[in-house]
Amino acid sequence: MSSRRSSSGAPTSAGMTDAQITDLVSKLQQLIPQLRSTHSDKVSAAKVLQETCSYIKTLHREVDDLSDRLSQLLANTDSNTAQAAIIRSLLM
Amino acid sequence: MSSLQPNVDSTNSEAMQRSNPKKRRKIGHSNSLSLVPWRSETQQRIYSSKLAEALRHVIHRNPPSPPAKSSAGREVRETADRVLASTAKGRTRWSRAILASPLNRWKLRRMHKKVHKASTGLPKKSPETRRRLPVVQKKARVLGRLVPGCRKLTFPNLLEEATDYISALEMQVRAMTALTELLTGGGSLASA
Repeated sequence: MSSRRSSSGAPTSAGMTDAQITDLVSKLQQLIPQLRSTHSDKVSAAKVLQETCSYIKTLHREVDDLSDRLSQLLANTDSNTAQAAIIRSLLM
Repeated sequence: MSSLQPNVDSTNSEAMQRSNPKKRRKIGHSNSLSLVPWRSETQQRIYSSKLAEALRHVIHRNPPSPPAKSSAGREVRETADRVLASTAKGRTRWSRAILASPLNRWKLRRMHKKVHKASTGLPKKSPETRRRLPVVQKKARVLGRLVPGCRKLTFPNLLEEATDYISALEMQVRAMTALTELLTGGGSLASA
């Protein structure tokens, strides 16, 4: 028991080390376009999480807008042109 | 005395062996999350074709006249999410959560938003998580609410799910943008 605690360092969740968590945070940071250009060493985990949340919200909003536009387009164009466009997208 | 020591060592090594495969299994599981290449064009084409087919069913189900624009948009969004989750092949938690409860997600979102506003006054500091700063804890909780099905995940698993979810969302945006451009282009050509 004591050996396990000393091997994992401080009591972290899921038995993962802090280094792995920092690695995940940096991987997450690379995905977010706002934080990708900045120097990766000086960004805190809290800032990365905050930017992640706002980025996911932005993506959700984009998907909502796109789905609204798609639904309008699908309703307005008649079935023939819609199916033709869809078949074209399948071929491409 | 000397006979006791190897026993202690063997029990320690046994304990380590017992804990190591669990750790290895967890690490192996985490590596398998990044197997879906959301950035590849092939993946996007697979998603676009699945989405197009799913939307065709939606068109046939609804009458050609627009019933109610807000509900149609939501239906498209739910279809897109479901197709995205199925493209993930069930390897991630958020995809399984989307596929498990498609109807209740939106209602649950609104309900949970109200519930959370009422409970912000209760600080939760368990001895395990005291090591994380409370600021990071709060942000992690917000993130857990944004990613579907990840409200009760541990911090590192949440980060993994978030990275996969963001890549998947980006691909979804790219595919749907391409589809809308195709439909706008196709509509104008047909009318001329």
